Amino acid sequence: MLPSPGLIFQSVLDGVFLGFLYSLIALGLSLVFGVMGIINFAHGDFIMLGSYLVWILANGLRSDPSFMSLATVPLFFVIGAAIYMTIIRPVLGKEPLIQIAVTVGIGYVLQNFALMMFRAEPRAVQTTYLNLYLNLGVVSIHLAKLISAFLSLLIVLGVHYLLTKTWVGLAIRATAYDREVASLMGINVGKIFLLVFSLGIGLTGLAASLWMTFGQADPYIGSSFGLLTWVIIALGGLGGVSGLIASSLIVGIIQSLTMTLVSPTVSLAIPYVVFIMVLWFRPQGLFGKV
Amino acid sequence: MRNTLLELKDIEAGYGVFRVLHGVSLEVGKGEIVALVGPNGAGKTTTLKTIAGLTNLFKGEIVFDGLRINDVPPHNRIRKGLALVPEGRGIFAPLTVLENLYLGAYHEEARQKLNDSLEMVFTIFPRLKERKNQIAGTLSGGESQMLAIGRALMSRPKILLLDEPSLGLAPKVVSELFEIFKRLNDEWKVTLLLVEQHVKNSLEISHRAYVMESGKIVLEGESSVLIDDERLRKAYLII
Ligand SMILES: Nc1ncnc2c1ncn2[C@@H]1O[C@H](COP(=O)(O)OP(=O)(O)O)[C@@H](O)[C@H]1O
Ligand SMILES: [Mg+2]
Repeated sequence: MLPSPGLIFQSVLDGVFLGFLYSLIALGLSLVFGVMGIINFAHGDFIMLGSYLVWILANGLRSDPSFMSLATVPLFFVIGAAIYMTIIRPVLGKEPLIQIAVTVGIGYVLQNFALMMFRAEPRAVQTTYLNLYLNLGVVSIHLAKLISAFLSLLIVLGVHYLLTKTWVGLAIRATAYDREVASLMGINVGKIFLLVFSLGIGLTGLAASLWMTFGQADPYIGSSFGLLTWVIIALGGLGGVSGLIASSLIVGIIQSLTMTLVSPTVSLAIPYVVFIMVLWFRPQGLFGKV
Repeated sequence: MRNTLLELKDIEAGYGVFRVLHGVSLEVGKGEIVALVGPNGAGKTTTLKTIAGLTNLFKGEIVFDGLRINDVPPHNRIRKGLALVPEGRGIFAPLTVLENLYLGAYHEEARQKLNDSLEMVFTIFPRLKERKNQIAGTLSGGESQMLAIGRALMSRPKILLLDEPSLGLAPKVVSELFEIFKRLNDEWKVTLLLVEQHVKNSLEISHRAYVMESGKIVLEGESSVLIDDERLRKAYLII
């Protein structure tokens, strides 16, 4: 039986919405990697932790998960700062293997903490105003997904503006390229690292709130988010926000289509297959420079 | 009597636990051009990096503008008026020429004079003005060096530390550059500490010079005297 064009269109649309959320998640990871050279393997697990927090808060306050970002973003920003000071800063100059061990370790701790506190069952929040569907005939738009995509795009563009149009953004880009020369310019590189890491983790707090308007919290979503965003960064090439958004949309659409047309289980694996194929043909990423 | 701007007193410095400088003392007076020459690996770059705060300082004292700056972190030294143009230029290649220049004026005091400073830099290096919106990585070697110097000037430095600015440049560009150093010193009253391979050129434009070997100063004096020094002429084939 062939799927109807309406079904495919619906699936692509859902993929686009998901893709914008992915770009928000990938942005924090790519900033931390691009500026500090640290691969944060715990990035996805912060979203997982945030999702549980949103679940608790939204249920407790009987409010919409999207509003919980008012709490999760500042909280995660501060948590990011604390983790930078205590765990990341001491390993900054160390070998990559040590840095990897440290962030993998953080992720492992977070995951086991979640397993212990919440067990392995998925948890979802009853959304309030966002649980509407706009019926447009061929497709229907889930308001929660539309709003989360819109807010994600807004924040990604906001960060892009910060990076390209402000003094602190200029300092961040200079530090990413050459820390020693950046310090010669009068830039306090330690402060820039602190800011970037806190921002990266703070953004996961926002991503978690948006995710919970239509998704579920479970202890393992961190790993899937983490890997997916790495695929996105590898596809998009580091640096440009446009490449990041484009590859996020591609991954979102591919995932959504395989979910509709093949099966939800396969949909988790397909982006990696695409990733490996891209590596064969364009090792610099789809949008990266040679 | 010289009006001392920068003084290194018996400096021992290096990387990690590895010492490169073994008791270096030197002095730069306000308004001077001082040359620092010597063979590869002598420790010239390490000396400039030590002044900028980028090495491990084991012993000795750095006094700048009357203040001991041993413990001032690198990012605060530029505020005090020390600007290093590093070996290899240290251009931010993915950023535009203008963004590179802005970075030179990153600290608050310099930021307030941003437009004046830009005008000054564009007067000295008109070619940077033509290329201001270009990506810095696309500049030629000579233009990159001008950008590196222009960027340092944006910080309104009291002293400019230049590490082999002529490295890899065509002879014609090198003489242009030395003309600019003289102009910077004459017209703009910038003090220069110049590390160079072009020993003859450097001695011609500098007031005084130090010769460094194996992490030690082995010879110092007026440049006009040193240029006739037999040992120096032999070692550096000055004809
Ligand atoms: N980053 C570094 N780490 C360790 N040793 C270094 C470093 N940079 C330079 N050295 C060593 O310090 C010595 C002096 O180097 P340098 O100051 O670059 O000399 P010069 O600029 O006069 O050619 C050399 O023996 C060099 O191997
Ligand atoms: Mg050198």
